[in-house]
Amino acid sequence: MSYRLRHLPAYAFLIVMSIFVVMPLLIAISQSLMTNAEVNRWPPQIIPANPTFENMHQVLTQQDLRIDLWLRNSLLAASGYTIAVLVLCAPAAYAFARLRFPGNNILFGLLLVTIMIPSQVTLIPNYLLMRDLKWLDTFNALIFPGAANVFGVFLLRQFFMSIPSELEEAAVLDGAGYFGRFWYVVLPLSTNALVALSIFIFLGHYNDLFWPFIVTNSLETRTLPVGLTILNSSYAGQYRPMVLSGAVLSTIPILIVYVLFQRRIIRGVMLTGMAGR
Amino acid sequence: MTSMTAGLPDVNRPRSPFTLNLKRREAIAAYLFLLPFLAFFAVFTIRAVINAVQISFYEYQILRPTRPFIGFDNYLELFNDDIWWQALGNTVIFTVLTVIGTSIVALLCAVAVTQPIRGQGFFRVLLYMPSLFSVGAVGLIWVWLLNTQYGVINYFLSFIGIRPISWLSDPNLVIPSLSLTTIWWTFGFPMLIFIAGLQGIPEQLYEAARIDGASGRQIFFRITLPLLRPTILFVTVTGVIAHFQVYGQPLIMTNGGPGRSSYSVIFYLYQIAWTAFRMGYGAAIAVVLALIIATATAVQFFFIGRRVEY
Repeated sequence: MSYRLRHLPAYAFLIVMSIFVVMPLLIAISQSLMTNAEVNRWPPQIIPANPTFENMHQVLTQQDLRIDLWLRNSLLAASGYTIAVLVLCAPAAYAFARLRFPGNNILFGLLLVTIMIPSQVTLIPNYLLMRDLKWLDTFNALIFPGAANVFGVFLLRQFFMSIPSELEEAAVLDGAGYFGRFWYVVLPLSTNALVALSIFIFLGHYNDLFWPFIVTNSLETRTLPVGLTILNSSYAGQYRPMVLSGAVLSTIPILIVYVLFQRRIIRGVMLTGMAGR
Repeated sequence: MTSMTAGLPDVNRPRSPFTLNLKRREAIAAYLFLLPFLAFFAVFTIRAVINAVQISFYEYQILRPTRPFIGFDNYLELFNDDIWWQALGNTVIFTVLTVIGTSIVALLCAVAVTQPIRGQGFFRVLLYMPSLFSVGAVGLIWVWLLNTQYGVINYFLSFIGIRPISWLSDPNLVIPSLSLTTIWWTFGFPMLIFIAGLQGIPEQLYEAARIDGASGRQIFFRITLPLLRPTILFVTVTGVIAHFQVYGQPLIMTNGGPGRSSYSVIFYLYQIAWTAFRMGYGAAIAVVLALIIATATAVQFFFIGRRVEY
């Protein structure tokens, strides 16, 4: 069999899968450019006769929808959360990877055990804590409760252990203390792992629905995923194209980032995923 | 000896306290490095888990001033709660369908995309794309695609003579429909993991098999699959944990309906804790959910995790 022919089934399969993946998005984009009457019609239109941006305009200017604010909140909360995770997990991972101290194994074992406990157990107690701290409806509630991310510690610990310790010894000869070794030697050598973890953590938080759903309650503090549920419950009945516009608009920022950093994102997800194993 | 050297400077002295000191300094540094993490971990994880178990033994309602201790009553109530059993059943079916579906689609895509073909990178990037969307966007797009009256999927099916299907309004179809949506949304992550797993299989094994005259199918079932076992374990374990906590899809696409046909465990937990404000009963649900997920994980380790022998 010729080289090309041998890989024909793989190509055919990948093309079918690509259509499966892209079609829903293309149809949603197309229908978001239609009028209400065009969408509620059988047979359904695939291409709009007269594309209109009226729905996009509507969804961005309704009094009871604040997609701009929701996007900002999502970006700020996910960034804040990612920074918090890095600040907490990187030093902890360094201690586990490089330093000797009594209780090392016990503490690490404790972390191992808790990674098996689904986070849903902590929902109610942490919600009640947020209420008592008066953190409901604030960024604090979106950033801090999950910041001690055990997975982050595992990933970074594994990576730090792979850095040759001779590099640190050189720094010790130059008079660096523990913090100096961590800050000036280990962290700069770990940018790949730090970026990979950040991407993973950021995306997970950016798309999270349940926790922001219960700890925010005013229109101005919602995040994008929660906002979309509001859009859905208020407008899906009458203005389907507007709802689809909102869904399409919400994917644009993440798609832009993806197009720009596709390789980094794919590599980051693969690296974090594999390390989790 | 001691009395003789008592008056003299002890050459060993400065060194031994120094090394002790070094050890202690290292430990102190380690605890300082750990402190911020452990503080948050203690409050938001350890305390929360203990507190959840505690609360589950109380009739803890936010709006009521008294919170009596009721022992195992919440768990007994759960055992006799028809809605709980229905939600659990729905969740189990959804999880099984979705994990099997995503794993197969992801594995096939991974095998196809690791062939020495042009456009590898392109396909990889394209196929991972849906995984980036939020459940909100995915739900809003798919609920309309699956619409019985005006949905594009029923339109396409009408070309091959299939009458309109009530994807989301038929109690028997709603869970498979949510599962289909979820497979589309989430197969990208296991695909990337499988790609990494496939790249870890030594090329010589394939060459040796080809020289021995093995067919493509034999190579896949005798070499690829057995060697991917740890990867498959990882994909199914993380998949079960993730999909058992399904919530957004029923919330957005069906609101648990029709009837309670698409109630999931977390969907029900939300109703109990945040619309009925019964925190004690909600905590009992969360604890039982945790035990179920932990058991499911252990079972998978037992069946898939066994070592492969040659």
